[in-house]
Amino acid sequence: MTTIEARRGAAEQADPRKTGVIDSDVHPNFVNGIRDLTPYMTETWRSRLGVSGDDWAKGMAAAQFTLPLDYLYINSAGAYREDAARPGMPPATDPDFTAKHLLDTHGIYRAVLLAGQCLGIGAMPDGMVAATIAAAYNEWMCERWLQNDQRWRGALVVAPQDPEAAVAEIDRVAKRAGIVAVFMPLGEILMGEKHYWPIYEACARHELPLIVHPSGCENVFAKAPRMAGTPTFYLEWHTALGQIHQSNTLSMICHGVFEKFPKLTYIIAEGGFLWALETMWKLDRDWKGLRNEVPWLTRPPSEYLLDHVRFTTQPFIEPHDSRHLAPLMEMLHADRTLMFSSDYPHWDFDNPDRSLQGISRELRHKIMVETPRSVYGDRLD
Amino acid sequence: MTETDTGTPARTGSRHVVARVEEIPLGDRRIVTVGGRSIGVLNVGGRFYALRNACPHHGAPLCEGVVKGTMADTAVHEYSYVRHNEFIVCPWHGYEFTLATGRSLLEPEKTRVRTYEVTVEGGDVVLYA
Repeated sequence: MTTIEARRGAAEQADPRKTGVIDSDVHPNFVNGIRDLTPYMTETWRSRLGVSGDDWAKGMAAAQFTLPLDYLYINSAGAYREDAARPGMPPATDPDFTAKHLLDTHGIYRAVLLAGQCLGIGAMPDGMVAATIAAAYNEWMCERWLQNDQRWRGALVVAPQDPEAAVAEIDRVAKRAGIVAVFMPLGEILMGEKHYWPIYEACARHELPLIVHPSGCENVFAKAPRMAGTPTFYLEWHTALGQIHQSNTLSMICHGVFEKFPKLTYIIAEGGFLWALETMWKLDRDWKGLRNEVPWLTRPPSEYLLDHVRFTTQPFIEPHDSRHLAPLMEMLHADRTLMFSSDYPHWDFDNPDRSLQGISRELRHKIMVETPRSVYGDRLD
Repeated sequence: MTETDTGTPARTGSRHVVARVEEIPLGDRRIVTVGGRSIGVLNVGGRFYALRNACPHHGAPLCEGVVKGTMADTAVHEYSYVRHNEFIVCPWHGYEFTLATGRSLLEPEKTRVRTYEVTVEGGDVVLYA
């Protein structure tokens, strides 16, 4: 190797666009719940939500007004990293501290902010309220986080109850600095249904991937995603989340969403990924006999999954026998389907320096850098 | 869903009279055993087809399956039934095989059932297998 080549190699090594770690799941939080969003709403909507002035509504409605989340699952480990909190400041509420604590400590190049306490607004009974909260959240995220540190990236939130409003919100916010994805809180309707197609059209048109994530409302709220039943324990709920994502992925593939919107990428955050193996194999097998139901699928169904669905890694699997990890990664085509995520500031945080132990350097680079780059594109820089 | 091979199977094997032609009316079929092999002889719209009565997937008695058409490749959420009675559907897992070629609709290169020449000679249905 010549000196020039060596220098060039070193320069490429140092180029963060080629080496910088991308974290696809970080949750920014409110300090005072819904009240943090009131500056970003019209007076009309503050009044409608009962969060305006010192009137009767403030005392009665606003005191009870909260967003659907996992409040009914009591996480005995605390749900948040203890060290992510500061005196008087709940975890991930201070952008400066969060940047130091997460991005500086682990050398993360870009981190995608996902919805915070808006994860569950798809379960709200009033889609207009959900859309108002989504729009206010987007303003709050852009102003408080994305403008605070150039390493933050954001997923703009939409309300799935009202696809028309969701499309308007995507069109309104998509081109803002730092926006790299559309976050859709999940509702009761499976994701392949035509209800959502305008949202998918808007995502594809803006070349923004669509991200989903659990909320803790599953099967607790009637308009939240269905599970086989309502889990009793946090441990039980958190381990069973693959159910929802398997059903939604199957629904999208079978309805031909990826035939209809060939530019759509769908990211499943914190929803597991090994369920995809059986899903792909079983789909392909059964499709050979049941194609007449879904003649618009022009390829074996597994190919849609591999081409369009991406999974974030946290909580990463820890097989009992570490030798099983590599073949599982190969079966999943992890070099193109997995994207690193930490889930900061939650209790089950995956440390980027430790969590992908046991897989090759090349694969780690795909998961932490190359695949997220191919999904988010130039918006990362 | 593309398949262009419509080739008639080469005449190989020995001559077997299966039945009088009126004994296998339109839409009917007869399963015969020739040299230990189970073979289905089907009258579909006046044309006779003969296929090995064993699905290459899991060994099901393929020739007991339904004869029908299939769905065309269409736009999402649209259906169009086409190629009526060109296929036999495995009675177990529903794989569709083109009667004329024995090739499966979705994996024509990989999954294929043996076909045999069958003719009508002097009022006899004659199988070459």
